[in-house]
Amino acid sequence: MAETSDQAMGTGEHSRRDFLTILTASAGAIALGATVWPMIDALAPDAQSDASGQMIVNVAGVAENTGIAVQWAGLPIYIRRLTAKQIADNRNLVQSSLPDPARFKSRVKPGYDNFVVVVGLNTGISCALEGNTPGEPRGPYDGWLSPCDGSAYDPLGRVRRGPARKNLVIPRFTFLDAAQIQFL
Amino acid sequence: MRPVFGKLWLATGLLALLGGNALAHDRLSPFHFQSQGLLGSTDKAAAQRGFLVYETVCASCHTAKALHYRDLEALGLTPDQVAGIAAGVKTANGAPATLNDTFPAPKIPAGAFGGAVPPDLSDIAAQRPHGARYIDHLLTGYAPAPAGVTLLPSYYYNTAYPGGQLAMPPPLKADDVTYADGKSATVAQQAADVSEFLAWSADPNLDARHEVGLRAVLFLVFLTIIAIASKRRIWRETV
Amino acid sequence: MNTDVKPSWMASRMPCLGGWWAGLTTPSMAREAPYLAVLPWLITAGLVFLTASGLVLAVYYNPADAFASRQFIAREVNNGWLIEGFHATGTTLVFAAAYLLLLRGMLARSYRAPGELVWLLDIVAFALLLLVGWLGFALTGGAAGYWSVMNATNAAMLLPGALGALGTWFFGGPDGPGTLARLLVLHIALALVIFFILWLRHGAKKAATPLPAPALRVAFHPYYTAQYFVALVVSALIGCVLLFFYPHFGQSPLNNVPGGPLALATGAGVPWYLAPLAGLSALFHGTYGGILGLAAGLVLLLALPWLDRSGPGRRAGGLWRLLTWVLALDVLGLGWAACGAAGGLSGLLVVVFGAWYFLHFLVLTPIVTALEAQ
Repeated sequence: MAETSDQAMGTGEHSRRDFLTILTASAGAIALGATVWPMIDALAPDAQSDASGQMIVNVAGVAENTGIAVQWAGLPIYIRRLTAKQIADNRNLVQSSLPDPARFKSRVKPGYDNFVVVVGLNTGISCALEGNTPGEPRGPYDGWLSPCDGSAYDPLGRVRRGPARKNLVIPRFTFLDAAQIQFL
Repeated sequence: MRPVFGKLWLATGLLALLGGNALAHDRLSPFHFQSQGLLGSTDKAAAQRGFLVYETVCASCHTAKALHYRDLEALGLTPDQVAGIAAGVKTANGAPATLNDTFPAPKIPAGAFGGAVPPDLSDIAAQRPHGARYIDHLLTGYAPAPAGVTLLPSYYYNTAYPGGQLAMPPPLKADDVTYADGKSATVAQQAADVSEFLAWSADPNLDARHEVGLRAVLFLVFLTIIAIASKRRIWRETV
Repeated sequence: MNTDVKPSWMASRMPCLGGWWAGLTTPSMAREAPYLAVLPWLITAGLVFLTASGLVLAVYYNPADAFASRQFIAREVNNGWLIEGFHATGTTLVFAAAYLLLLRGMLARSYRAPGELVWLLDIVAFALLLLVGWLGFALTGGAAGYWSVMNATNAAMLLPGALGALGTWFFGGPDGPGTLARLLVLHIALALVIFFILWLRHGAKKAATPLPAPALRVAFHPYYTAQYFVALVVSALIGCVLLFFYPHFGQSPLNNVPGGPLALATGAGVPWYLAPLAGLSALFHGTYGGILGLAAGLVLLLALPWLDRSGPGRRAGGLWRLLTWVLALDVLGLGWAACGAAGGLSGLLVVVFGAWYFLHFLVLTPIVTALEAQ
């Protein structure tokens, strides 16, 4: 940088940058980098938010046709275990009949197609969905129902009746094993 | 250049002298803790044993609010072992603790220990002069009150405590815990181990600090030498 | 070369850069300036470093729960302990350089005409630095910092008239939960003001320094870049030894206890760089004693160009230099005694060392300089 500007500004002095000065300047640059890097790295997520951001939830205790709700990243997350009938009913729907077409496969994780994990917020008027705790109305499609605008979702979290027009959001997560899921 | 280096050496010598004196005059614990000294590091085996003592004995009255169960992985415990430890502890709402929970606060009846409040132990080794050695000496320092000292009711005489009168009853008894590594759980051993654990708790970055520090100092010594050489070389051309 | 074809892509679009670079490479400086002449620049570099590390700390710092947020930084944030160390050790280095700069100015008598303005700006920057340092110490939320804020708030609000109103404005009334939030803003804002003062000082210094004959000049680059680099690296080495092996250098262990009305502080408990000032403020009794001591100590420094009765141009004599060195030891002793390091003797030693400080400036300086001028 300095060398090019030396030429560019036309000061005309010959370069004094022999091996020693280059070595010193490079070692100085390394020292500067080693000082600045920790400060940049310090702005990356801290251990606390790493730990809560990569939350692990045990789903072994969730019985068929029931759900649990957990808080992750400030959002209510609904986790439901489907029955064989719910899976069969929703596996081969005609895509074009849905307001927001989505295949069964795209709503579950391969190998764990009896678990649906969604953000439990209505995609129309934003409010928490009903149907996750026992006794709450699940709506005509046996999924979730918005108490605010009447939007209804199926057990896979696909919108089936408006005014909402988008399916429920699926958070980033993976199955660690059959009993545990981890949010990322 | 020479005078500068001369001063540096003098300063280093002075520091070494002061440190040596401080140690020689210290009549506290005869133990040497691995975490002490210029290049000390946490004795993880001792700190693991110390955690067992902490969990069994200290935690029934003291808090350590700054510590999470996941922090224990730094002592060489596996995540599964730590999860096992956490699962055995109940949090305030009765659920088993998880890795991300802090050490829970014990319930002690109001007015216990004559109204003295057991201090939080997260940073106790940094808050007391001589840190780990003071704690070790305190835990083993209970003695009958010497003639002429009248103890306050429900206070105990301790040679390490400033003023000698301590509200904490002697906490350690031999074989309070059973060490997995087969070490005999004498009072002295438990005291030394829990002191090392509390030293780690107050300074969990000790190992990284000394490791990075040694590398940084060596690199900067090298950089100082070549910087001075470069400077002299560049200035030679002015003539 | 293609310099003729394309005189400079950048210089034609950003002429100031070209001018800046030309200024650095044109012989314009005296030869063989001593290493200690680098101190103002080192202080500036140190403040840049403190600003960078301070900004990272400010991201995680929470004035509503200061101590807990510092715990969080040290234990949970990536390299948080290191950034905290950067900030604490950087402060130690900047203050060491600032004290050395003042000592050097006194030994060389550079505060005399035409350098008075440089000296005045030095003292203003030093006073601001002390204030910013104290604010940082207050922000730690430890027991020592807590009581220091408490005492300062009470003292400031008891001041009569406009000064009291200023004190109330500064602290926002009696010490409450909002105080640290406001002190955080002042800590950052005043730190930036120091840069401005240092910039003014740079201009004043240039005007006060006569240039040698053109044949005796050298360019800043590469000669002084090489020299400044050596100074910077040596400071970094000292800083690393402190940061990694004596991380609590010059701080009271008392400040590792969370602050609160029940955690009673004994002694001043201030960091080393504030200790001499704490000594001066402990010197006078009464409601306004503390503030009187602080103000008098700094006003005497400001008045030094006029307390020195020697004519312009004379080199400092041996007696004056000896007295200045004695003053340096006296200030060290004052800080040492103010921290309560001398046990039961501390109170007496503070009075002795503090009295010498005033004796030095008010009596010895005018007499000795007048004698040496004859």
